[in-house]
Amino acid sequence: MNTKNTPLVEVRNLKKYFPVTGGFLQSRIGDVKAVDDVSFEVFEGETLGLVGETGCGKTTVGRTMLRLYEPTAGEIIFSDTDLMSLNEGELRHIRRRMQMIFQDPYASLNPRMTVGSIVSAPLDVHTKMSSKEKYNRIQELLDIVGLNPDFVNRYPHEFSGGQRQRIGIARALALEPDLIVCDEPISSLDVSIQAQVVNLLEELQNELGLTYLFIAHDLSMVRHISDRMAVMYLGKIMELANRDEIYLNSLHPYTQALMSAVPIPDPDLAAKHHRVILDGDIPNPKNPPVGCNFNTRCPMAKERCFIEEPEYRQIEENHWVACHFAEETGA
Amino acid sequence: MNPILEIKNLKTRFFTTDGVVKAVNDVSYSMEDDEILGVVGESGCGKSVHALSIMQLVPDPPGKITNGEIFFEGRDLLKLSEKEMRTVRGRDIAMIFQDPMTSLNPVFTVGFQLVEALRLHNDITKGDARKRAGELLSLVGIPGAENRLNDYPHQFSGGMRQRAMIAMGLSCEPKLLIADEPTTALDVTIQAQIIDLVKRLQDELGMAIMWITHDLGVVAEMADHINVMYAGSIIETGKVRDIYKNTKHPYTMGLLGSLPRLNDPPGVELISIPGLPPDLIALPKACTFAARCSYRNEKCLAERPPLEKTEGSDHAVACWRWEEIAGTK
Amino acid sequence: MAEIIPEEITITDFAVREHRSLWGDAWRRLISSNTARLGMFIVALFVLSATFAHYFWEYEPKKDLDYSLKLKPPTLVANEEVPSVHIFGTDKLGRDIFRRVVHGGWNSLRVGIVAVGISLFFGGLIGLFSGFYENINMTFMERLFLFGLTGLMMGVLAAWIAAQPFQTFLLAGLGVAAAYFDDFYKGKPLRMVIFAIAGAVIITIPALFVGSTVALICGGWGLITGALLSRPLEGRFFSNVMMRLMDIVLSFPGYLLAIAIVAFLGPGLEKGMIAIGIVGIPVYARLTRSAVLAVTQKEYILAAQSVGEAHGRIIFRHVTPNILSPVIVQTTMGLANAILSAAALGFLGLGAIPPEPEWGAMLGDSYRYLTSGAWWAVLFPGLAIMFSVLGFNLLGDGLRDALDPKLRT
Repeated sequence: MNTKNTPLVEVRNLKKYFPVTGGFLQSRIGDVKAVDDVSFEVFEGETLGLVGETGCGKTTVGRTMLRLYEPTAGEIIFSDTDLMSLNEGELRHIRRRMQMIFQDPYASLNPRMTVGSIVSAPLDVHTKMSSKEKYNRIQELLDIVGLNPDFVNRYPHEFSGGQRQRIGIARALALEPDLIVCDEPISSLDVSIQAQVVNLLEELQNELGLTYLFIAHDLSMVRHISDRMAVMYLGKIMELANRDEIYLNSLHPYTQALMSAVPIPDPDLAAKHHRVILDGDIPNPKNPPVGCNFNTRCPMAKERCFIEEPEYRQIEENHWVACHFAEETGA
Repeated sequence: MNPILEIKNLKTRFFTTDGVVKAVNDVSYSMEDDEILGVVGESGCGKSVHALSIMQLVPDPPGKITNGEIFFEGRDLLKLSEKEMRTVRGRDIAMIFQDPMTSLNPVFTVGFQLVEALRLHNDITKGDARKRAGELLSLVGIPGAENRLNDYPHQFSGGMRQRAMIAMGLSCEPKLLIADEPTTALDVTIQAQIIDLVKRLQDELGMAIMWITHDLGVVAEMADHINVMYAGSIIETGKVRDIYKNTKHPYTMGLLGSLPRLNDPPGVELISIPGLPPDLIALPKACTFAARCSYRNEKCLAERPPLEKTEGSDHAVACWRWEEIAGTK
Repeated sequence: MAEIIPEEITITDFAVREHRSLWGDAWRRLISSNTARLGMFIVALFVLSATFAHYFWEYEPKKDLDYSLKLKPPTLVANEEVPSVHIFGTDKLGRDIFRRVVHGGWNSLRVGIVAVGISLFFGGLIGLFSGFYENINMTFMERLFLFGLTGLMMGVLAAWIAAQPFQTFLLAGLGVAAAYFDDFYKGKPLRMVIFAIAGAVIITIPALFVGSTVALICGGWGLITGALLSRPLEGRFFSNVMMRLMDIVLSFPGYLLAIAIVAFLGPGLEKGMIAIGIVGIPVYARLTRSAVLAVTQKEYILAAQSVGEAHGRIIFRHVTPNILSPVIVQTTMGLANAILSAAALGFLGLGAIPPEPEWGAMLGDSYRYLTSGAWWAVLFPGLAIMFSVLGFNLLGDGLRDALDPKLRT
């Protein structure tokens, strides 16, 4: 692993609010702050893991970062280009350098198109390849992702979940992108198939020098694949650090609770393991708590947490936390 | 310690237009009346269908139990009439399902549904049933239970709905609770709450629990025994420590190897199992796992291995070469 | 674990089932159902007999007249009284009912195809665009196009009231202007006032030539239209306007609206087709829109956007093929409905002009002879209507089962 410190993507103060409409004229009566003031960088060649529970906004971060959703506010700088300043046409052009792999392999492939035409879609849009060249490229791509190239004319419903996810990966690789946003690419797959796909993604990263933003709710899988990890809760990043730092020295009580809730596939360790069980449920994002977002469930919440929103700040080198008492937890 | 449930040679088939899906193939095991049994396997391995077969809730057509005996407290459930079976369901055996979003009826209040469930099997007045419903909700840790009885399911969060489902399952104090992937749709922190709850309830109420899951992590900390299923059969069974620490079957090894651990050092590659599970319509004569197994030989391809006991009295494995494999480790 | 040697493992990386396409699957399911086969048989019989009769069995309704054969019951062999064979009997003008029923089939077929064609084309387009842009941002050109289209649709009503067709284009122009001058007083109430006044003015002046009441109504409509068009330019807005417009059309009872349109256009089979077609537009628009909304929620639409495919390409390659199933079912059922509507109009004397053979008109001509015992003059056209409608409905039901994705594993 080389020194990964040239940022490929810089996201600054990104916000994405979805309007809540109501009433006779469907007018805006409020916002769901799906992503609320999120800043991070993705370095060239690294894998940044983004974890969080349902409704924390991790998927929205991925989609907004590619401007598939129009951000409410913020800056997205992708290798020195400000994505916010691009018009629709320029954006479409730069999309060839950033691709996406989707969560649901059953919904992310058009059931009426053959595997060949699914994989060639990006080539049709961005290149002037002849159909012969395209055909060869498709064969090559299917081979790379471990599918039998003879199946170009088959339809998605003829494949299993893991194979479909490979088709999705082939589509994302078609234009040799720099960045791939992997949006929960393994959560709908079986355990033994998950490992196949994760190994494939790691292999491709080594061979092609890809940069990943890896979004998932499975903490152990994210820790496995990532160089650095960000933990999100209710639209905000709670903690961002090196993967081992997060595991060994997490400073945010939410990260600690999340980590301890992960089931351990080992009866002896599980018996010794002291589990922090959080009370209550994730608050409704339409109506987040005042002060720190986590204050309704935090075992260490103090008065200050219900009044003041904690600042997202760098505590140690490359270790960012949004908690009033991070310094004390660390000490 | 008495066996509460004993299954012998259970076979369940689905007769579809594409062919006969052999969903459960010759499953036999027994379960004690105070243990937690974990049934582990990937999608399509027959773990849910076998549970539905116990409850006789397999959709028919196309499904049918073609063979086997299911003894519950000495009675063969498969010989009971539908009417007798109805008294078993809910009162003796309760089942909770994966999706808490759809298993409660959205047009009735949670309290009404609980009261209905209670009055179905117990001869009690509405007032008593309502009181009991409130107690059950607080037993499963829903704060302000009395007041929440009038709430509709959509006013509950996912975790609370699953708690309400568990309350409903417990309403008649069943002797066996079958939980079919009850935490799969939930977040990890909520999953931890539910697991904690179920362990506490088992301590307090002392019933047998069958916990069906694809997640080896979840059952490691709560189960006493584990059945690992693959392509409709049990391929390894034993005490929880035997399964995790003294693994015999290559499939179980592969499953464990493909799980990342939080304390893995960097750069560890996951051990993945190549290929796909077999098509249940065209099951091979051979060992069902042979096509994906790196230890297979001619015998594995010729004949399917039976589930046979290893040195430990409880630990059984369906593999021709488990002894050799244990030697190479 | 030492023994893993990857070369030894041949991965069965594909299920053993044979290659099947989705349409092939649907076809197999369709022909395996008895009701669908019966429906297909009736429809085929109907279509073939009508087509053959039209091209190979000449018939001139205007010359077909023979009072000597008036109201003869069905006969299978010729005799002295009735020298020719009339298996369905004859009607009040001595015309062979069998011949008229078969030729009437051609007219019903035409009505069905043209009326459903009109409904499907306009309804489908409205539904497709309004569903698609509900959740997807529009580009500049798309905005011009869609706001022009909204203006055009709004203008049709004003043009109809004032009988001045070019008003549609004036309002379309206003829509385009609203889309083009997007920055013009953006988000301010002043913008609304300016466009409302412009709308009122441009359609009041032509309407003044017709009459002051008409001008007042048109002016009011123009005011509303202008104000609406100046609203924030989002797809959701376009969709809302279109669907409310469809709701207005749908709020009239279907037959009444069709009768009103025929009354306005004048009688005739062609006018009837147009009327039935217009009445059907909202049905198709709603159906298409809801199907499109479901499809645009799917991740493959997002995937297409993320690889940079343009909206037009997404609509035609990803959305359209996936909404075909419900539209095909509705179209088949719609054919039955159109045949029934045409017969109703014909019965009321508003459809085909006599002596053109048309099932509804034949019923209308003959029902008063029922009392004198001429049951055959009513029965056979009635049976023809019933069987053709039944055939299309059975086929539609079969198609619904065959195309229903829920049955697919």
